[in-house]
Amino acid sequence: MAEVIFSSWGREIVDNRKGEAQALSALQIKLPTSYLDRGEIRAFIGWDGVILLDRQVDVVALAAEYMKRVQEKYCCGKCTPGKKGTRVLQDTLARIQAGHGQPEDLKIIEDLGQLLESCKCTLCMSSVVPVLDLVHHFPDEFSAYSRGEIKPMGALRYTDKLTAPCTDRCPAHIDIPAYVEDIKDYRFDESLSRIRRNMPIPAVCGRVCPHPCESACRRGLVDEPISIMVLKRVPADHEWMHHKQPPMQPKAATGKKVVVVGAGPAGLTCAYYLALEGHQVKIIEMLSEPGGTVAVGIPDYRMPRHLLQREADVVAALGVDIAYGVKLGRDLSLRELKAEYDAVFLGTGAFKSKPMGVEGEDQGYEGFSAGGIHYLRAVALNEGLVTPKRVIVVGGGNTAIDCVRVALREGAEDSILVYRRTRKEMPAEYYEVDDAEEEGVQFEFLRNPTRLVTENGKVVGVEVVVMELGEPDASGRRSPKAVPGSEYVIPCDMVIPAIGQDPDLSYLEDGDYGIQKTRWSSIVTHDGTMMTDNAGVFAGGDCEYGAMTVVVAVGQGRRAARVMHRYLTEGKACLDDEDAMEDLLNNLQVFNKKEQIGLFGGLHREHQPKIAGRERASSYVEVEKALPESQAVREAERCLRCYRVGMIAVG
Amino acid sequence: MLKLKIDGSDVEIAKGATILAAAEKIGIPIPTLCFLKKVSPTGACRMCVVEIEGADKPMTACNTPAVDGMVVTTQSEKLRKIRQQVMQLLLVNHPLDCPVCDAGGECDLQNSCYSLAVTHQRFEGENLNHAEMNDWPLIQQIPSRCILCEKCVKVCHEVVGASALAVHARGEAAYIDTVDGRPLNCEFCGNCVAVCPTGTLNSKPFKFKARPWALRKTPSVCTLCACQCQIDINSHGNEIYRITSDDAGTTNQGTLCIGGFFSYGFVNHAQRLTSPQIAQQNCDWDQAFARITTEIEAIRASSGSQALAGLSSPRLTNEENYLFQKMFRVAMGSNNIDSEARFGALRAMQATSAVLGLRGASHLLSAIGNSEAVLVFGADPTAEAPAVDWQVQDACRRRDAKLVVAGMHPIKLSKFANVALVCKPGTELELANGISRLLYERNLLQTDYLNQALANPAELKVHLDAINIDKVCAETGVERRLLEEVADILGAASSVSIIFGAEITKSVRGYEKSVAIADLAILCGALRNNSAGGLFPLDEKGNTQGLLDMGVCPEYLPGYQPYAQARESFAQAWKAKLPETGLDAMGILAGIEAGTIRFLYLAATNPLTFPNAKRWRKALEKVEVLVVQDILPTEVVNLATVVLPGASWAEKGGSVTSMDHRIRSLSRAIASPGTALEDWEILATLYGRLRKQAVSISRADILAEVSSLSQLYDKVNFAGDDRHRPCLKAPYRPLAKSFHYQTPQIDEIQTGLQLVCGKSPYHFGTTTTWAAGPLEIESQGLVRMHPLDASQVGVGEGERVKLTSSKGSVTAVLTLDDSLPAGLLFAPYHFANLEVQTLVEDGSNRVGVTLAKV
Repeated sequence: MAEVIFSSWGREIVDNRKGEAQALSALQIKLPTSYLDRGEIRAFIGWDGVILLDRQVDVVALAAEYMKRVQEKYCCGKCTPGKKGTRVLQDTLARIQAGHGQPEDLKIIEDLGQLLESCKCTLCMSSVVPVLDLVHHFPDEFSAYSRGEIKPMGALRYTDKLTAPCTDRCPAHIDIPAYVEDIKDYRFDESLSRIRRNMPIPAVCGRVCPHPCESACRRGLVDEPISIMVLKRVPADHEWMHHKQPPMQPKAATGKKVVVVGAGPAGLTCAYYLALEGHQVKIIEMLSEPGGTVAVGIPDYRMPRHLLQREADVVAALGVDIAYGVKLGRDLSLRELKAEYDAVFLGTGAFKSKPMGVEGEDQGYEGFSAGGIHYLRAVALNEGLVTPKRVIVVGGGNTAIDCVRVALREGAEDSILVYRRTRKEMPAEYYEVDDAEEEGVQFEFLRNPTRLVTENGKVVGVEVVVMELGEPDASGRRSPKAVPGSEYVIPCDMVIPAIGQDPDLSYLEDGDYGIQKTRWSSIVTHDGTMMTDNAGVFAGGDCEYGAMTVVVAVGQGRRAARVMHRYLTEGKACLDDEDAMEDLLNNLQVFNKKEQIGLFGGLHREHQPKIAGRERASSYVEVEKALPESQAVREAERCLRCYRVGMIAVG
Repeated sequence: MLKLKIDGSDVEIAKGATILAAAEKIGIPIPTLCFLKKVSPTGACRMCVVEIEGADKPMTACNTPAVDGMVVTTQSEKLRKIRQQVMQLLLVNHPLDCPVCDAGGECDLQNSCYSLAVTHQRFEGENLNHAEMNDWPLIQQIPSRCILCEKCVKVCHEVVGASALAVHARGEAAYIDTVDGRPLNCEFCGNCVAVCPTGTLNSKPFKFKARPWALRKTPSVCTLCACQCQIDINSHGNEIYRITSDDAGTTNQGTLCIGGFFSYGFVNHAQRLTSPQIAQQNCDWDQAFARITTEIEAIRASSGSQALAGLSSPRLTNEENYLFQKMFRVAMGSNNIDSEARFGALRAMQATSAVLGLRGASHLLSAIGNSEAVLVFGADPTAEAPAVDWQVQDACRRRDAKLVVAGMHPIKLSKFANVALVCKPGTELELANGISRLLYERNLLQTDYLNQALANPAELKVHLDAINIDKVCAETGVERRLLEEVADILGAASSVSIIFGAEITKSVRGYEKSVAIADLAILCGALRNNSAGGLFPLDEKGNTQGLLDMGVCPEYLPGYQPYAQARESFAQAWKAKLPETGLDAMGILAGIEAGTIRFLYLAATNPLTFPNAKRWRKALEKVEVLVVQDILPTEVVNLATVVLPGASWAEKGGSVTSMDHRIRSLSRAIASPGTALEDWEILATLYGRLRKQAVSISRADILAEVSSLSQLYDKVNFAGDDRHRPCLKAPYRPLAKSFHYQTPQIDEIQTGLQLVCGKSPYHFGTTTTWAAGPLEIESQGLVRMHPLDASQVGVGEGERVKLTSSKGSVTAVLTLDDSLPAGLLFAPYHFANLEVQTLVEDGSNRVGVTLAKV
């Protein structure tokens, strides 16, 4: 049981040096107690304070080392207080540590601590926070050094990591402040290169990412969050709209062969990073085109497929061979892949619609769709499906919204969404719901289907029951309850259930691969390595996580590629410091929604121009038009560049 | 508008403006160091911190937008302390070499330190200053003096678009270097030096030459190209030490190119002509004038006035060109006058005049920056008119315009283009027609506008119907999908700028190609809007517009009055009998060859740089009397019967007219060397001697005479001489039904290796081949070619090749350039030792050549 000796984390001082130590868990600080196979974590120092888990930690050395790393590794040097101030701090702390401290030194640290408040960004500004904590709470240690009572160099090993709340929250951990700053500086190509270090499909994630980063944007605490997602589209569109060739070049060939199953976001991402490392990568894809769920599950008016194709072309240009129309389990077995390749990545997605659990849905009635994802795919691939005049879509997620909007474009006169809770509880992005409404979609909230009404084997309506919201459940959403006897029938020609998808892992059934599955029929991987129980077989994206977001798939695909590279070159599927610290900080949480920023706001975010609702409802032309670059620059100017450095002492 | 309060004063300002701008508006000074108005805010120095009610932390005024209701304090004890401490930090490890620092006396850091009374230092840190970079051409970088304001990085990236500089390393070790860390290799425009607030980036030619406070600043105009940027000549005694330009109040916002910044060296060149010469021997002015008048009178007596001819120069002022044509027409009785504009600018002008009634650019340069789409066609603005390059970038990089670059090879601006079309040499007319056809085919024409603007709308449809796109694509070598994209871009934009240059106008079918581009300008509405878009023909020479405005060609009297029609009225005004006709440059050349032209007067021009230069050389050798008025001993000076030493642009007054019709005044900053005279004085004296009548050489008098004879300059009125504000000619306002759509046909398909002669971005005419600055960057003319073409004859970088055309052969050193398409060679024409102009035919800029290893 790890015990806290001292903590100033979150600006709350816990000082147990004299009393009994408290358990770390009691402080609600999610810091792990050990780090990889390197040993126990003795201390953490970062933007929001210090956590000491060991009495023996030399706080002067900790402060000096932290400031040295901030200045030498991370300070961009682009503002005077940061560039110069952290150097003076570094040298002052080093002088104290060397036993040459002067009485004036602590005053200098104090004064610079205040001056750094006027830094250009928060990197240097926040780095002085834990140092001041130590100076304030451990004056004896500092003065002992100044008296020449120098401690011997400890055996602690330090590991640091640069992060930002947005970067941390992004499942792909893109260096968001950096690419935003590049836009601010009119450096669109550099911005795109920066994005591609973590995200090879920026045209996709600049359009259809649910952008969790924006809910961790500190600018949001001042006025409105930065439009991070749209700013990602800008450099991606810039490259495309200028006919530029992407600059990436793969490293020298390693001779290792990898197969990636599925050309969706996870598979494309994994293939991209493996190819850059010089591995020979082949993708097999069951559909006739790249993109997986993004291609056939997200309509063209949100994500034009020619751009998805361009992203796949970029991956292919690195030497990745993509074979379309090849399905694992049907055309090839996992065993064959294992035999032929040095490693396998499974990115097979989640293509099985969940049943609604209503009477008649398994009867194969005409007018009853197998599921939202099937409907969208049939339309996307032009499979000859005719959408009738009155369509009901059941569900409240993004897929349900996509279905009602596509149905309108496919000629439905009434496109009705039935959802058992209210608009507020819908998991779909609120702006997607607004867009659907503008286009003429009708909503039936607090209604739940109970029975399909059919005539001659054909759907003619859905019986629904009126629902009421009860108390919030574990997920925080108020759970709906049926009002007995309130059933009535909504007439319609087609019903599309869109209440979720599960992975289809039937390809694992032809042999005992030893790969564990969850009860939601997703693949189990271990410790952030993305490796399954079968050595050399990795998995990521919806088939691992369950139906989730594009950006989660990208994050997992990238992590898998990094670990696979180590597996292929070092024979070990393990995390490196970057991965491990990424996970550690993510666990600790970088964004603090209660933070007082202390800046004057009042600026609104920039918005992309949009085609008007009724006009767009009849076409698949992209609804959101590109944000003009001048506006993008203005938006990027709002970024507070919330960099911060965390460092652990391990030993 | 937003309302805010700064230091208790109310201010209203437009949305999007910063606190700094709001403070400036009401005259509240906020200290800054890294702020540079013409680039995006950096926020590096933190000197401009202010307090805002409701904010706990100080915020920077330079990059914080004003918000309605904001209450700002710019001066307080807290802020003063921050600024002082920031200054102390800036001075940590800053060398105290102010006495030998180039910026001494004009250093922003010194000034800020002084005004904040920072008298002591309490901070110290390890000195990590990067070593000096002394191996860059023309520019030295001393990182220890750098405050990392990034002005240099930003002006280079955002304004010039060379993107040569970057911040390297982290923390206190951060420094500015070239992007790849190798010696600087860029446009050498010097803007990084100009914006540097300290002595970090220094001009090597200026270093240790003079202290800033000892220099006299004379406001003037750079006449090396037709953009005519506004400059200050920094001189001491009779020497120019440097050229500067203020950001505020100049049309070029202080931005200069290598021409403006580094090319003044020819002015004080040791070989400047200092004395008149007869038969290559020094003489005095009286002897020189006497000899010329004697020769003229003798030839007039024996062969008549038609045996006299003269070529003038876009290097001369409006007044000088006016006097030149008047001297020939009135005092010599000859209309055999012309200039090098014959081989380019005049063709474009005749074309735009026939189609649009337009002579020169249709709008101010700023209209390019304001447009929604820009087409650069057969031009390299970076070389031909750098301020146009900056405007194009302003449009497409900062104001969301789309850019199309079309021509036979990529140019610098291609990297910013949405579409860059590379067509086969000589197919520019087909390309223009193809775009026109697709505008029509894709329903992108504004029919109402066209019907209203065109005198002959019916012909338009007939012509467009006849264009076959597949044939266009085959002939030009351009993909249809790209052409369609171009049509969509030009068709969708509400304002379009079309810029065309030397590779159109100087080609042998330059007239027809210019017509096709003028047609295209009509179709995409380039002439519709008064403040955005327009048609911009480029000519690289400084005062070509003024030269033509003044009527230095046989077909026009001043103000483009057709010679035949206006001859009588001018004769009355000038109280003289004017000759009936005159010869143009080619006629003069043929006349010399035939022996009918016996006297040639070259005013600041060098026909050895004209196409088919060998033919010109023979003619110059043959002509009985050759008078050369120039400033440097060029090769034609060596052939002259009489040499008249003139003045450089820094040594005289008078006005010049820019490509966008602004008229600006030169100022005499220094005296000419020896007994050299201002060119207008030479012309006026000669006129006086021939005509026995004195002529004024005052700008006001001459311009008054011009405006009394022509409407073109009648609105010109210089407000004052101190700041030399440009004034404008009457703006171009086309009348309804005034456009004449034309359908030129040419057949100019050529096969085999093609050599194009053109302008280098580092040199301007021949004068800068006498200037140390540009010579340090480009010391000799190299023939650029694609590695494939070089490997075909087994030659590599730096080796010598022999180029042979139908006109002869030259040997040249080659340099490999894979940005050129294979099959196309490019050679700069400026250098006397690379006689590429001898390879091309009369009036052409391109020729088929064969290559051989030497």
